[in-house]
Amino acid sequence: MISIRHLAKEFPVSGGRVAALKGLDLEVAEGEFFVIVGASGSGKTTLLRCVAGLEAPDGGEIRIAGRVVSSDKPPVWVASQQRQLGMVFQSYAVWPHLTVYENVALPLAEGEQRAPRREVSSRAREALRLVQLEELADRSATLLSGGQQQRVALARAIAVNPRILLMDEPLSNLDARLREEVRGKIRDLSKQLGSTVLYVTHDQVEAMAMADKIALMQAGELLQVGLPMELYHHPARPEVAEFFGLVNWVEGRMVQPALAETAVGAIEIKGSQAPGSQVLLGFRPESLSPVSTPPAGARNVLSGVLRSSTFLGDQFLYDVMIRDHLFVGKGRLIPSNGDGNVCFYVDPREVMVFPAKKKISGRFDERGI
Amino acid sequence: MSTVRQAVLRLPFSFGARRWRASPFLVSLALAPMAVILLLVVAMLWISLQKGVFGTASAIYTLENYREVLSDPFLLHALRNTAIFTLSTVFFALVLGLPIAWLTERTTIPGKTLIYALMTLGLLIPGIYTAMGWTLIAHPRIGILNRWLVDLLGLAEGPINIATPVGMGFVQGMSLAALVFILTAQMFRAMNPSLEEAAKVHGLNLGRTLWRITLPLALPGILAAVIYITTIGIATFDIPAILGLGNRVYMLSTFLYIKVHPPGSGLPEYGISGAMGAFMVILAIFLTCWYGQVLRQGHRFEVITGKGYRPALIELGRWTMLGWGFIALYALISKLLPLLLIAYAAFTPYFAPPSFEMFGKLSTVHFSNMDWDLVLRGLKNTGILVLVVPLVVLLFGFSISWLVVRSRSRSRYLLEFGAFLPHALPEVIMAIGALMLSLFVIGNVVPLYGSVYLIAIVYVVARLAFATRAINGSLLQIHKELEEAAFVAGLSTFRTAWRVLLPLIWPTLVSVWIWTALLVYRELTVAVFLGVQDNITLPAVIWSYWYGGGINKASAVTLLMTLVLTPMILAVWWVGRRSQVPGQ
Ligand SMILES: Nc1ncnc2c1ncn2[C@@H]1O[C@H](COP(=O)(O)OP(=O)(O)OP(=O)(O)O)[C@@H](O)[C@H]1O
Ligand SMILES: [Mg+2]
Repeated sequence: MISIRHLAKEFPVSGGRVAALKGLDLEVAEGEFFVIVGASGSGKTTLLRCVAGLEAPDGGEIRIAGRVVSSDKPPVWVASQQRQLGMVFQSYAVWPHLTVYENVALPLAEGEQRAPRREVSSRAREALRLVQLEELADRSATLLSGGQQQRVALARAIAVNPRILLMDEPLSNLDARLREEVRGKIRDLSKQLGSTVLYVTHDQVEAMAMADKIALMQAGELLQVGLPMELYHHPARPEVAEFFGLVNWVEGRMVQPALAETAVGAIEIKGSQAPGSQVLLGFRPESLSPVSTPPAGARNVLSGVLRSSTFLGDQFLYDVMIRDHLFVGKGRLIPSNGDGNVCFYVDPREVMVFPAKKKISGRFDERGI
Repeated sequence: MSTVRQAVLRLPFSFGARRWRASPFLVSLALAPMAVILLLVVAMLWISLQKGVFGTASAIYTLENYREVLSDPFLLHALRNTAIFTLSTVFFALVLGLPIAWLTERTTIPGKTLIYALMTLGLLIPGIYTAMGWTLIAHPRIGILNRWLVDLLGLAEGPINIATPVGMGFVQGMSLAALVFILTAQMFRAMNPSLEEAAKVHGLNLGRTLWRITLPLALPGILAAVIYITTIGIATFDIPAILGLGNRVYMLSTFLYIKVHPPGSGLPEYGISGAMGAFMVILAIFLTCWYGQVLRQGHRFEVITGKGYRPALIELGRWTMLGWGFIALYALISKLLPLLLIAYAAFTPYFAPPSFEMFGKLSTVHFSNMDWDLVLRGLKNTGILVLVVPLVVLLFGFSISWLVVRSRSRSRYLLEFGAFLPHALPEVIMAIGALMLSLFVIGNVVPLYGSVYLIAIVYVVARLAFATRAINGSLLQIHKELEEAAFVAGLSTFRTAWRVLLPLIWPTLVSVWIWTALLVYRELTVAVFLGVQDNITLPAVIWSYWYGGGINKASAVTLLMTLVLTPMILAVWWVGRRSQVPGQ
């Protein structure tokens, strides 16, 4: 439905140019809820604005439903109005001088994708019904709460039956509780309407929860594209693994195709690596499963001393010192053998293996959940 | 427990309910200017109700003055002139100021800092300069342009007349275009560009986006600017005085002037001017309330912009030249050309269009023949005003702002209203009020009439609205707990202000000080209404030469005045670079 090739965009800044998009490729299938996630400044908004036709790319090609809407060779440019999109802006951009109803009806009545005159009212009301705002139809748009404004923006975007829905961090101005609620509603609505959605966020939890497919963006490039589970459990690069949650890293050397020697003991992995190669192993806090008595000589068993713990409500996060390495574990209970010594088992299938190139820094940066 | 609570209640400066008495000094500082304003208005109204010898037993209380004003055919004439003048002022100010604001805020035109500097500093170049310069350009008899056209086309008389209501509106409009720029540039900047982008994405073409989104959103801002300009236009004195008085074209303000300073041996008609002033007060208060209401309407449209906010600018491309051409033309005709002509006139023995012959006659005769006694007296008075007024304005302004911003008591609305009053009252009205107050009310007790301090008092109350607004803005940005920490640490009110607040809002105070000094330095209206021999100011000296027909002498004094003005304007620019220039 959306197909992007070698998309490049630079911005002039004082004393030079900054590349916001560096030759990016992307493929979004029809009906897919596609989430682009990345740190602040990684170029997500720029990408979305290029698709919307609000920003002219410097190079590359964008196709929507098979039709080229933007290209450098041969030069093609389809104006934003002609692209048949719906968009929810981060600031919502609800027109403050109009009522809720008028906000939704204006594109229907006067836009390029306008509906026949007698359908305008019914379609606008239908869109408002879908976001549960019918009762507020005649309210001035300035008298709405943040959550309501967000729904007006959504209704306006879906009213024109767009081929594609674009959303730029539509939830970031809502408070945490509302955010979780609206998250599900947006996804349900888009599935109900069968829309293709390109959704931008910087929140990895939001991305995981909503996406059919996720693309992780960093510094104007896509690091990995795939299903949420793939990105979480089989990240292509250590950066991807780190973005989606805490990772315990340990360096090692392969002694057998599926066995690595590390500073915390021998660790068995799934798959095979060339013996003798240097590797970087990583596993998530929840992969540390407490075991009461370590079977002697067993592989993948780490024993150490419990240092501290944090109560998170539904579970605990705790620090364990294993042979001078600080690890983070997570579970419903704090493991304890009475004397503070604890043992863990790590399933070989849950160990992420990367060729050791450079040291990973900032292991404990993201004390997320 | 109870001791803790008592300790809290005994904070030296907590403005909870019933804590007003905590700082009577501050409160009286804040209330004093308000009292003065009320006194001025009341004095004027009181005089307007009397015939005979004011304030004595022989005075007759009557509405006769009002009847006379309403039945005066000459007043109708002045009213008509004022209406035409105000309309043309608004028209020219919008036509010049609005495009420049739009160009600067919404397009990719280069050199924005320079445009901002040009327009804000342009606000500081006195309107009387433009008026004098344009007299020299387009006066029907002596104007250079007219002389050239007469020679070129063989006409009997000059075809262009700047001394008409429309011509004066043109000059006033050029002066106020800078103000329109500042008012509307803010609006264009506050406008969230994603509102227009949303229209675009959802299929509205450029025309419809401008018509359905941009224009309705800009309208309150433009309307507010129009009302503001109108408020100034109906009561402005200096430009109509320079251009119109000598040619007997009267506006309300100049009409008021000849009522209290009749030419020749006529007697001042204070009662009548008081009645006229009363009508103007009503009109001005109405306009100001309307302005406030429209402004609130506009603020309603300001949407909170998320972090995705980034102004999308319109690519100007080859229109850049045209844009800058427009701005340059504006700077040329409104500031540069008038200044050049004034300089030229200052060095020519009599005024005639530039020619080889005239350049041969250049001399400094006007400087040596000048009444230096008078000029130095003007300089001394203006110097006193520039030294005293800004400091007093800062003192009062800070007290009012502090109370208004921090107090939770309902009395602060009273204060806010008091700070807003001078905003509504035109300077001519304050001048008339001060004249009557000093002559008929307190004349026997305090001999203020004819003193430079009478002018100073009026300046202080007139400039206060501007100062409190600027200081309010910067105080609001300072978290209340910074002060509360000082109180809890045991600092007195005075020390808290001195050690915590003042250092934090220092840049704003400096810029308010400089702006006030500059506006005081160039002020003409109050100075002319209240001026007699002893308290004449430098601008009033220029005015008296000009009014008396000494165009070249007036130009020479203007040039001297500019010598002092230039470094001050540069100082504003220098301070403004480092801090926010307070909006008008
Ligand atoms: N109009 C612009 N002018 C200059 N630089 C820009 C402009 N727009 C974006 N950039 C730069 O391009 C890069 C990508 O910006 P972009 O807004 O796409 O990031 P983002 O991923 O959306 O970030 P965030 O999560 O903070 O919204 C940043 O370095 C930004 O500074
Ligand atoms: Mg963004």
